[in-house]
Amino acid sequence: MAFPHRPDAPELPDFSMLKRLARDQLIYLLEQQHEVDKLYKVENKPALSSNEQLCFLVRPRIKNMRYVASLVNADKLAGRTRKYKVIFSPQKFHACEMVLEEEGVYGDVSCDEWAFSLLPLDVDLLSMELPEFFRDYFLEGDQRWINTVAQALHLLSTLYGPFPNCYGIGRCTKMSYELWRKLEEEEDGETKGRRPEIGHVFLLDRDVDFVTALCSQVVYEGLVDDTFRIKCGSVDFGPEVTSSDRSLKVLLNAEDKVFNEIRNEHFSNVFGFLSQKARNLQAQYDRRRGMDIKQMKNFVSQELKGLKQEHRLLSVHIGACESIMKKKTKQDFQELIKTEHALLEGFSIRESTSYIEEHIDRQVSPLESLRLMCLLSITENGLIPKDYRSLKTQYLQSYGPEHLLTFSNLRRAGLLTEQAPGDTLTAVESKVSKLVTDKAAGKITDAFSSLAKRSNFRAISKKLNLIPRVDGEYDLKVPRDMAYVFSGAYVPLSCRLIEQVLERRSWQGLDEVVRLLNCSELAFTDMTKEDKASSESLRLILVVFLGGCTFSEVSALRFLGRERGYRFIFLTTAVTNSARLMEAMSEVKA
Amino acid sequence: MDCYTANWNPLGDSAFYRKYELYSMDWDLKEELRDCLVAAAPYGGPIALLRNPWRKEKVASVRPVLEIYSASGLPLASLLWKSGPVVSLGWSAEEELLCVQEDGVVLVYGLHGDFRRHFSMGNEVLQNRVLDARIFHTEFGSGVAILTGAHRFTLSANVGDLKLRRMPEVPGLQSAPSCWTTLCQERAAHILLAVGPDLYLLDHAACSAVTPPGLAPGVSSFLQMAVSFTSRHLALFTDTGYIWMGTASLKEKLCEFNCNIRAPPKQMVWCSRPRSKERAVVVAWERRLMVVGDAPESIQFVLDEDSYLVPELDGVRIFSCSTHEFLHEVPVASEEIFKIASMAPGALLLEAQKEYEKESQKADEYLREIQELGQLTQAVQQCIEAAGHEHRPDMQKSLLRAASFGKCFLDRFPPDSFVRMCQDLRVLNAIRDYHIGIPLTYSQYKQLTIQVLLDRLVLRRLYPLAIQICEYLRLPEVQGVSRILAHWACYKVQQKDVSDEDVARAINQKLGDTPGVSYSDIAARAYGCGRTELAIKLLEYEPRSGEQVPLLLKMKRSKLALSKAIESGDTDLVFTVLLHLKNELNRGDFFMTLRNQPMALSLYRQFCKHQELETLKDLYNQDDNHQELGSFHVRASYAAEERIEGRVAALQTAADAFYKAKNEFAAKATEDQMRLLRLQRRLEDELGGHFVDLSLHDTVTTLVLGGHSKRAEQLARDFRIPDKRLWWLKLTALADLEDWEELEKFSKSKKSPIGYLPFVEICMKQHNKYEAKKYASRVGPEQKVKALLLVGDVAQAADVAIEHRNEAELTLVLSHCTGTADAATADKIQRARAQAQKK
Repeated sequence: MAFPHRPDAPELPDFSMLKRLARDQLIYLLEQQHEVDKLYKVENKPALSSNEQLCFLVRPRIKNMRYVASLVNADKLAGRTRKYKVIFSPQKFHACEMVLEEEGVYGDVSCDEWAFSLLPLDVDLLSMELPEFFRDYFLEGDQRWINTVAQALHLLSTLYGPFPNCYGIGRCTKMSYELWRKLEEEEDGETKGRRPEIGHVFLLDRDVDFVTALCSQVVYEGLVDDTFRIKCGSVDFGPEVTSSDRSLKVLLNAEDKVFNEIRNEHFSNVFGFLSQKARNLQAQYDRRRGMDIKQMKNFVSQELKGLKQEHRLLSVHIGACESIMKKKTKQDFQELIKTEHALLEGFSIRESTSYIEEHIDRQVSPLESLRLMCLLSITENGLIPKDYRSLKTQYLQSYGPEHLLTFSNLRRAGLLTEQAPGDTLTAVESKVSKLVTDKAAGKITDAFSSLAKRSNFRAISKKLNLIPRVDGEYDLKVPRDMAYVFSGAYVPLSCRLIEQVLERRSWQGLDEVVRLLNCSELAFTDMTKEDKASSESLRLILVVFLGGCTFSEVSALRFLGRERGYRFIFLTTAVTNSARLMEAMSEVKA
Repeated sequence: MDCYTANWNPLGDSAFYRKYELYSMDWDLKEELRDCLVAAAPYGGPIALLRNPWRKEKVASVRPVLEIYSASGLPLASLLWKSGPVVSLGWSAEEELLCVQEDGVVLVYGLHGDFRRHFSMGNEVLQNRVLDARIFHTEFGSGVAILTGAHRFTLSANVGDLKLRRMPEVPGLQSAPSCWTTLCQERAAHILLAVGPDLYLLDHAACSAVTPPGLAPGVSSFLQMAVSFTSRHLALFTDTGYIWMGTASLKEKLCEFNCNIRAPPKQMVWCSRPRSKERAVVVAWERRLMVVGDAPESIQFVLDEDSYLVPELDGVRIFSCSTHEFLHEVPVASEEIFKIASMAPGALLLEAQKEYEKESQKADEYLREIQELGQLTQAVQQCIEAAGHEHRPDMQKSLLRAASFGKCFLDRFPPDSFVRMCQDLRVLNAIRDYHIGIPLTYSQYKQLTIQVLLDRLVLRRLYPLAIQICEYLRLPEVQGVSRILAHWACYKVQQKDVSDEDVARAINQKLGDTPGVSYSDIAARAYGCGRTELAIKLLEYEPRSGEQVPLLLKMKRSKLALSKAIESGDTDLVFTVLLHLKNELNRGDFFMTLRNQPMALSLYRQFCKHQELETLKDLYNQDDNHQELGSFHVRASYAAEERIEGRVAALQTAADAFYKAKNEFAAKATEDQMRLLRLQRRLEDELGGHFVDLSLHDTVTTLVLGGHSKRAEQLARDFRIPDKRLWWLKLTALADLEDWEELEKFSKSKKSPIGYLPFVEICMKQHNKYEAKKYASRVGPEQKVKALLLVGDVAQAADVAIEHRNEAELTLVLSHCTGTADAATADKIQRARAQAQKK
């Protein structure tokens, strides 16, 4: 069932170094620099600690600063004096200091930085854990995190050697890449002469491919994320999974042998696999019978622990599966998937639209409805005006008028738009494309640029053959291509782009696709001439998702890697899924 | 070799001292040295002279001249002294000239007589005047110690980080001490002073009397004291002509000497080297120079002229009107090689090489002799080392030649020591040149390091030589050439007579894009000299736009700074500039600037969203961005306002804005919301319960659940809720209420716009199979099968499916056939399928 890597697949670099580095820095900061002895979670409530010194380890967000300021001011009112220290991770922003100053506590607080930006969630997955990146950049046009991304890439290249081949697509990608290059130039000498460990790096913006992120996930890991929400590589399984009254926190990574075998599987296979596994396990247990004392001793000391561990994991995942089955195998879910597939393939749009309308009317789920609307909009190059109005009206009636702002956000991000009559669009489009060719325009993220973007999904899909033609049933047990992560209905656009570019070693021949993606000036290839990279490193590929990647994409690329003898490493600003994207765009009453 | 050792003078049995000339000085002094305040910096540093008229005549009729010369006597600077009377001169470790005035003010000058800064040694010093002052060196830097007219000491251990310390009082001190010095011990500066026959040590806390161990009796006064270059040793000269030498801690005596000269010496300094055999002091009187150590005899020299001693790490420099000499203990390697009749391997090797050049067979003999003893490696090393200690290039060459000759007969002699020595000597010879005038010895050079030497060359504005040295030694560009070029550029921008364009061009031509050169630093210097335009021109060359920003801000070119910051891609920098701009410009201009910089604008908007909502509104207003303005007011309607009236008003503003933005949809939606809010308020008043802020759908549901069907219908009509939604809504609500009777009535009120399948579904959700079945029968034919399956009637579902002859439906039913109960049904379907296929 589980697909082993090809024997010649390259070894992954050791990312535990990153963890050690970050940990040592933090320990140094907390213990040596700031003498911290107890840790609390920052929550928006008064601090209970009676210590003489409070130290905050926070993301540089204005909200956090106001919280710190309120604590300090509360202490001041109560006539208390303590020391306050704020450690920003990954970096301090001037705006934060500004807030402290405006709140009149700047003098009371001392600031420090913990330059921690890369958390290895798994052997092949690094996360910057910046979920706000998506909204900050793609909605608000705030470029503050680009520097952080560049720093992270710089750190990787200092640790694992330079990257001989770089590809990228998207505006944010381009800016990050340029900034990163600048950093490298400033500090060159260090990485020069080092042998590259990772042969290729591919960067892409989330807005290049919204469609994939908006689809319901059906591979196991993605499904677990959609259903239970994986946070920082671990998940809280509630009582319905553990079949006890306690919930259980489970780390999900390659260490978990059971999970590792099913994570990339289409859900329809998982149950069968697990029951097979359970039978094997039972057989192993059963070997006890008929053992003599010595064998038994051996069994207990050597195998039993492993078996028990496996047993525990197995029961957890079976529980999770049952719980997912209960939710997902209902008719509703199948209809939902059917609609999604219809949207992706572009047939029976009318029916899909009424399905979405009904979805809204029945108040099934605000985020799901929103997601379907966005999917419809992107696959159809925007909604026709009538549908645009009526769906929005229905949505507002169901979920409240504040979502007027949500729609305004979605429109700005280009996720939910209205089909405009041809010529007005081209007028704006030409204006924008003129801006783009402007020198400074590489840095412009104007709200209007996204408005004018057409998604062109249908054309792209045709060009890149994203909807596989299947004769007969798609055998999900023996996947043929990356489409298996969406039940064989759709090859993730992002992954297909990566596949194509890696095949060609450049964007050559993909000009039309790039144009359709509205990235004419924003796709680049950068290869170094010198050929120091070993053939092994050339099969290691770092894929950088700016704005988040989904587990389905990870699974699809892992599959591609197995097929082609590559290994992919993922660096993402955060692991995301459709619900998280929609939440990022939603305006909710505080 | 006899002639070579002619200037060697033995001191005791172990050591030789030699004195040789460094330069002959033609500095054309106007004054006698003895009439001047003299200060010479160690490590072959510059010499400063200031005629000191006050001491003699007390009337300053003519202003004195402060002159600075290189060690070879070349004039570096000359300036008319216009400040107050100077008590003492001294050089800091950075080769800055410190001039201590009588009023306690210390003026700091550069090597070229450029005034740097000044500082005061405190009020107490100002009141009591300065009687005497010393400039001394510690591991932290250079310090100043002052003896005031009140016979108190004040010192600062590091003039770079001025911290004044007033030392404790010496009890019963009525007159100035006969002599005193600073002592650095345990990382702190102390003062040792002599009053009559007593010695006192002053530290920060106390004054303690000390006695040197083994001091000869009969001393009634100390005339001189000297601390060694490394602060480890101390020498005392008494009025009996007796010299005591010991450790600076005063715990141990090294030796003593009686010179029988009672006249106070002019100067006394230590003359030793690291790891020297002998510890000796050099004492100078008017016409006599004496080297004394642990030996019954001393070495004596006659001084023809007024001379001045400069203690160095490994010897003493002695300069006078006409010459500049160096006196030192002959290093071991040199001694071994050149000592008369020396049989040391190095000496033999040198001899061998000489014979070889003469093509004499003796060369072989000598060589054999060394090799037989297995000392060839040692011989080569000796020659290399001795070469380093030679001042004359011809001697260096012959020693190196010998070493190179010996190397040929060695298999594995690592070449780097030889190569490095050749390089070092080349550098040393270059800087010892008369025109450069830095007479460093090899040991001093090693102690000083090449980096410091380069700094000193830069300080002397000897840029080409410095660069040549860097290139010759292949120093990395960033530490070497680039740094020097940057210094050169900084000097260049101070040349006020050259036009901005020319300076900028000249600098760019020389520097190009040499790595490690920071144009912004150079520009900062230019700005410091008041050349703003030049600074801006220079900044243009700075490749890292981020680096340009701080200076541009300082120069008040904020708008330029903003675009540079944006170019750098560093948002934080952009933000810094924004805040500057915000304070600098009036609001209108500020907004206009933002308008042209979308990236800055979005950044500022982000900040305002959290911190300054009113500004955000103004921003939108200015841009006529009615869409965002509308959104802003919508948000305000639920985030900022509490009262319904306020919220409705905010929504009204929003709706107006949306109209202006031609967003009719949003405007209508906002107006609907206003209506809804008012209505919800009325509902709360009339019916009680919670309505405000519910969505329309939830409002209607709440009404239905509360049994207010009429009201619900009314609301649905008012807000034009589509039939489909209303039916779903009522269906769900009634099922939730489990009001089955009402539900049935409702289902029959007219033909369902959503069909009857939802009825079945919802009933089943409430686990009411009975009710569900009622509706299943009313489900239209297309969905009949689904409905029947929902209520669990597989058999009938099968019948319907067979009747429809629909393959998909058949499959669906078949998938529901589980267990034995449905076996018959399954059979039936299979049969029907088979039949269908036959047809």
